[in-house]
Amino acid sequence: MTSIIKETQSIKEAVNFINTVDVNKFSRLLSRIIQKLHVKGERTFSEEEEEKLQAALTLDKHALDLVLETTAFILEQAVYHSIKPASLQQQLEEIHLNSDKAEVFSQAWASAGPELVEKLKRNIFAPKKLDYVSWQLNLQMAQSSQARMKCPSAVLQLGVRNEDSESVSDLLIHLRFSSLSLEHLTSWYC
Amino acid sequence: LSHHSSFLGGRIPPEIESMSKNLKDVDQELFRKLLKVVVSALEGKDCREVMKSVAESSVIPQERLSHIIAGMHRVLSEAIRIPASLLKQEAFKEDLRELRRATLEAASSQNDPHLPTLEEFKWRVDVSISTSSLARALQPSVLMQLKLSDGSFQRFEVPVSKFQELRYNVALILKEMNDLEKRSILKIQD
Repeated sequence: MTSIIKETQSIKEAVNFINTVDVNKFSRLLSRIIQKLHVKGERTFSEEEEEKLQAALTLDKHALDLVLETTAFILEQAVYHSIKPASLQQQLEEIHLNSDKAEVFSQAWASAGPELVEKLKRNIFAPKKLDYVSWQLNLQMAQSSQARMKCPSAVLQLGVRNEDSESVSDLLIHLRFSSLSLEHLTSWYC
Repeated sequence: LSHHSSFLGGRIPPEIESMSKNLKDVDQELFRKLLKVVVSALEGKDCREVMKSVAESSVIPQERLSHIIAGMHRVLSEAIRIPASLLKQEAFKEDLRELRRATLEAASSQNDPHLPTLEEFKWRVDVSISTSSLARALQPSVLMQLKLSDGSFQRFEVPVSKFQELRYNVALILKEMNDLEKRSILKIQD
């Protein structure tokens, strides 16, 4: 399989920093990053948390940023290629990540990876998407132009979500069936 | 027209539908006059003069009259096509009566409050091959385009899981409508 991470200068630098971090601390860091991966617009760590991390991992700001970015990047590439955990571990060792760290990556990926991929598959953007369906069945008894009706009619409410505005607009559709088509549809459909 | 197969066959021809729309405000007398003209025309007689005088003496705009004439012509020529032995007079009379009734009902109910109804429905199935986050997404989804009676077009995507939800709810509406028709609530005394 083609390597998903090219060993560029900044990757080399990042790997060196990661290798200095204690493996248990790194494992916890990794879980947190995976959780927040692909969540739009949110920072994984707040500014305070980042300062605490710098102290805990003995990394300066530049180093920490590089470590966080690179870890996220590795995971994004893993998702993009739907790579197998074993392949990931091998490739990380090839870019000179310590084997204990590579294993930690591989394990985290094995447990959280599939769900992440599914989430992304479900979230493919579209300008407008159907969000919910609800309905009402009424028996219309009369209207201004007609007395003594006994007309079943349904109102279908479709909630359509707009990708940009994140608002949901309601589409209300009135459905009427003649008795003939009702029988036909019910036998075919239900 | 809905209970037994009428002389018009399965679908109502467009001239007859447009005649229905234009019959509003047409009184019995005018209707008879127009019918007489159409009959003479079918008999081969020249009725341009008669037609002119009918048109001039009526308040209905000429365009609407021409729709009505076209519709009547269609009704009668369709009826004439069917051999006399097959076209039972009583059934024919009943069909005509129902047609007139239905057209009047449709015309007068246009002013009643109502929600838009579905006029046209188009769909297609798309498959997302890859995205910026996933090299191989391979996710199917349904794209729906609805044309409503208020003239608006609604286009939105329906993920497969939502499609199942929509399908289920529509089946439920049909089932409820069917049950309603059979329940004693419909035996409400008139």
